[in-house]
Amino acid sequence: CHVPVSPQAFPLPSLPRKQPTVLVVCGPAQNGAIGLVCARHLRIFDYEPTIFYPKRSPDPLYQDFTTQCEKMDIPNLLPTLCVCPLKVQLINDAYNAVVDAVLGAEAEAAEGREPCAAILSTLKLIRIPIVSLDVPSGPTPRSASLGQDGTPPPPRLSPCPAQHHHGLIAWHFVAGRFLPYDVQKKFELNPPEYPGTECVVALRAPR
Amino acid sequence: QDEAQAIDQELFTEYKFSVDQLMELAGLSCATAIAKVYPPSSFTTSRPAVLVVCGPGNNGGDGLVCARHLKMFGYEPTVYYPKRPSKPLFEGLTTQCQKMDIPFLPEFPAEPALIDELYGLVVDAIFGFSFKGAVREPFGSILSTLGHITVPIASIDIPSGWDVEKGKADGLQPDMLISLTAPKKAALHFEGRFHFLGGRFVPPALQEKYALNLPPYPGTECVLQLT
Repeated sequence: CHVPVSPQAFPLPSLPRKQPTVLVVCGPAQNGAIGLVCARHLRIFDYEPTIFYPKRSPDPLYQDFTTQCEKMDIPNLLPTLCVCPLKVQLINDAYNAVVDAVLGAEAEAAEGREPCAAILSTLKLIRIPIVSLDVPSGPTPRSASLGQDGTPPPPRLSPCPAQHHHGLIAWHFVAGRFLPYDVQKKFELNPPEYPGTECVVALRAPR
Repeated sequence: QDEAQAIDQELFTEYKFSVDQLMELAGLSCATAIAKVYPPSSFTTSRPAVLVVCGPGNNGGDGLVCARHLKMFGYEPTVYYPKRPSKPLFEGLTTQCQKMDIPFLPEFPAEPALIDELYGLVVDAIFGFSFKGAVREPFGSILSTLGHITVPIASIDIPSGWDVEKGKADGLQPDMLISLTAPKKAALHFEGRFHFLGGRFVPPALQEKYALNLPPYPGTECVLQLT
């Protein structure tokens, strides 16, 4: 399942920088793996993604995702423990947007563990838009912690129909158009209708 | 044909793509192309019923994925899948379709007229670019029946039964062809109305290496209309 939301919210011609650069920050689990797949498709769509994937999963499937990205010349920032490459000003200057694929909805236990905590505190301070996959990564996903710190409202994406969310979110898309009807009914998901053959649908967009 | 096989090999061994990944993207492209040309509202049958005929290999797998996405897009696909490989990939795809209430026919409609009556479109997912040699049963009779239907046929990658490079003048004449990854030589002999490109996963470096010269896909679309 691929995730082409960035082009809908941030189409290539609208990007402020000359190069269509996007930083994709990937956590250690499934959310991070989705980020890797997203980065590969962004590359196919002619963006210039860079990945930051400091804690790699041992899962062979996710390792293959990493290889696919590397073979497509998607650079991987070195995760040196002493010097965090994620400096706020550097990010603001070099990229048009950041994809937050650090922690997903299941990640209660991982929060607070390095390097996620350091990454997340850096991301709280950046000024460029953040696109979060499934839930904004962070210790209290139900709060508006990102918005309250003055960062721009992040666009976000739900692989499954929307989880409850408060706070300043400019764009909200639902993705993951693969749920069979009986699963939707069983869990009373009531997802919105996807337009035509689109694999994402905007629940909220800025006016 | 050799080049197509070499590209595939490189995607699997060098780039570490899994068959599942590429098959999913290929099948999705096929369903998307079909939805663009034959939207559910355009069907003259009372419901947007589609017959998907799946062969014994990867082309059949593409067909199973396509059927599933067609269901998601509001069609009513029915699958005919007489020769099923006992591999987890194909068993999984079959289960996914069955769990989505996509019926699997126990036998192939005997008369072309029956197909014309029940379905608005047939998806030919029988043989792909690895096809060589003679057509084995039951596919010979199936292709013969399909040769006499009047509803449109959409072929995945290669019109089944065609020589992958030279085509087949007296073979299947589909209305639509969805070439996957890149058009094969046989596509030069395609005379149907709609030729689409799908399978938008070829890394730029690989495109260069094999001088594929693919035209650019529009925006974030996973298909490109060539004619």
